[in-house]
Amino acid sequence: MKRSWYAAPYAVWMALFTIVPLLLVCYYAFTTRSGAFTTENLTRIFDYAPVLFDSLRLALYCTALCLLIGYPAAYFMASRDMSRSQSLAVLILLPMWMNFLLRTYAMMTLFENNGVLNTLFEALGLPRQQMIGTEGAVLVGMVYNFLPFMVLPIYTVLKKLDPRVIEAAEDLGANPVRVVTRVVLPMSVPGIVSGITMVFMPAVTTFAISRLMSSGMIYLMGDMIEEFYITMNNRNVGSAMSLVMMVLILISIGFLRKADPEGQGGGLW
Amino acid sequence: MVQDTRLIELKGISKSFDDTQVLHSIDLYIRKCEFITLLGPSGCGKTTLLRIIGGFETPDEGQVLFEGADMANVPPYRRRINTVFQKYALFSHLNVFDNIAFGLNLKTPEALGVKTRRQKREEIARRVGRMLKLVKMEGYEKRSIDQLSGGQQQRIAIARALVNEPEVLLLDEPLGALDLKLRKEMQVELKAMQQQLGITFIYVTHDQEEALTMSDTVVVLNGGRIQQIGEPKRIYDEPKNAFVADFIGESNILSGIMREDCLVEMLGVEFQCVDEGFAKDEPVDVVVRPEDVMIVGEDVGMLTGTVESVIFKGVHYEMMVNTGAMRWKVHSTTMQPAGSRVGMSIVPFNIHIMRKEA
Repeated sequence: MKRSWYAAPYAVWMALFTIVPLLLVCYYAFTTRSGAFTTENLTRIFDYAPVLFDSLRLALYCTALCLLIGYPAAYFMASRDMSRSQSLAVLILLPMWMNFLLRTYAMMTLFENNGVLNTLFEALGLPRQQMIGTEGAVLVGMVYNFLPFMVLPIYTVLKKLDPRVIEAAEDLGANPVRVVTRVVLPMSVPGIVSGITMVFMPAVTTFAISRLMSSGMIYLMGDMIEEFYITMNNRNVGSAMSLVMMVLILISIGFLRKADPEGQGGGLW
Repeated sequence: MVQDTRLIELKGISKSFDDTQVLHSIDLYIRKCEFITLLGPSGCGKTTLLRIIGGFETPDEGQVLFEGADMANVPPYRRRINTVFQKYALFSHLNVFDNIAFGLNLKTPEALGVKTRRQKREEIARRVGRMLKLVKMEGYEKRSIDQLSGGQQQRIAIARALVNEPEVLLLDEPLGALDLKLRKEMQVELKAMQQQLGITFIYVTHDQEEALTMSDTVVVLNGGRIQQIGEPKRIYDEPKNAFVADFIGESNILSGIMREDCLVEMLGVEFQCVDEGFAKDEPVDVVVRPEDVMIVGEDVGMLTGTVESVIFKGVHYEMMVNTGAMRWKVHSTTMQPAGSRVGMSIVPFNIHIMRKEA
């Protein structure tokens, strides 16, 4: 038997659960309920432009925050002190071992009106804060869920960085700040690109996190698509929206690919 | 030429990693324009010593003085020292030009003797061009680093360090990754560059031939201790102990007894030598270089033996001659067939007597 046959179960799986659904999405997107060809489903997206805009905006904020928090963490983890970095790596990975819904529910209990944080505020004599329902809470939920996807590819790239290269930069007169800006950052671009992709893609189609953390006040494209499919039982518009999201993601991957043409960022996608 | 001013002084440098002490109270001075080589087997502490001078390691004890000033709190980026790293450590995200220009780019226009940023760019281009010419890599400015061969990367690493016009250049086994022919060429070129630029070179290698070829001064290290410091010829001709004799060049080392001044007994035979100042009947190590053993007729030799093996080495033959008590390594341009009986003789000048190591 040829080696290529070993991949057959996976090929069948792919066909059943990726290719067929994709084709179905395309089919529904361009047809009416009765099955006639139409482009109206696609133009409906303009009615929901604010939702789309919010989704993109929040995904961008989330990606930026993940990068700001994740890069220094990855940098620290990749530093020479192995024992400490290992335990930090475990801490970063630990939440990933749990389902994201569980994690989000746990976050809710922190931010609720009668939640842990508000109880703490009260004990400190501070006024209670309405946090659930704000964009901030949604953003915190998203960052919490997606942070590991930013840290890991950057960590991988930084870990591979030859310490002698950093010494060479110091040797040539670079102070610690310049070592980072002139050598470490440019050399970790592949990891950053990979991290941005890994965070931005799922973030832009976030659902559930937004609904749970805002008790339904903030609607993102993911929630919208879910609603069209499930609540409104309108596969056609739902599919059209999914298609638009997919195209948007493909375009953004295209741009990011340009920044890392050799896919050195750990090739996680 | 080597000047008498002491540029760098190491005083009582000790260093341990975990529980292993790699340097034991090293005292050494390095003069201006000197080409000094730290030579020793791997693990002898030579690279650690170099890294201490570069500022990448801090000594546990002792001082590094640069023109008399203590360097303890001076980080690498403020030392007027540049390094050519083992395996080069070039910046893979920059092309050849930007690699060489890295150090200059970090300087202010004033430091390069110009006023505006635009002039700085021109000055950098001029200096990088000059360096590329020096290392014979003109026209490679836009190449990326991974398009270069090992020898070319080597040259770029040297150019990247030298362009900053350092007082001292540290070289950590810079030719280790090159093939023999290229290594020989680079040895000559490095020595020429050093003399042309008048920069102090501190060179680390485990290759004794390299050390002897290039250096003004060789420092032989073993087990974190300095074994001998001296000019190459002196170290080769008058090794201070059995380790140095064995490490520098090939040698026959045997035990002997000093019967009186200029008379040593080894293998039961008394030999004339030129060393004095030993106690009567003091046990000593005797070193004879393979090329200093002369093959003579069996009847006139001071020692006689049987040729056990013959290997053709290019310029000479290497023969192992068994005298019964000892197997001698002999280099000669004339070949004696294996199995033949030969006599050997050694002139007094070529017998090196060393005190036994405690």
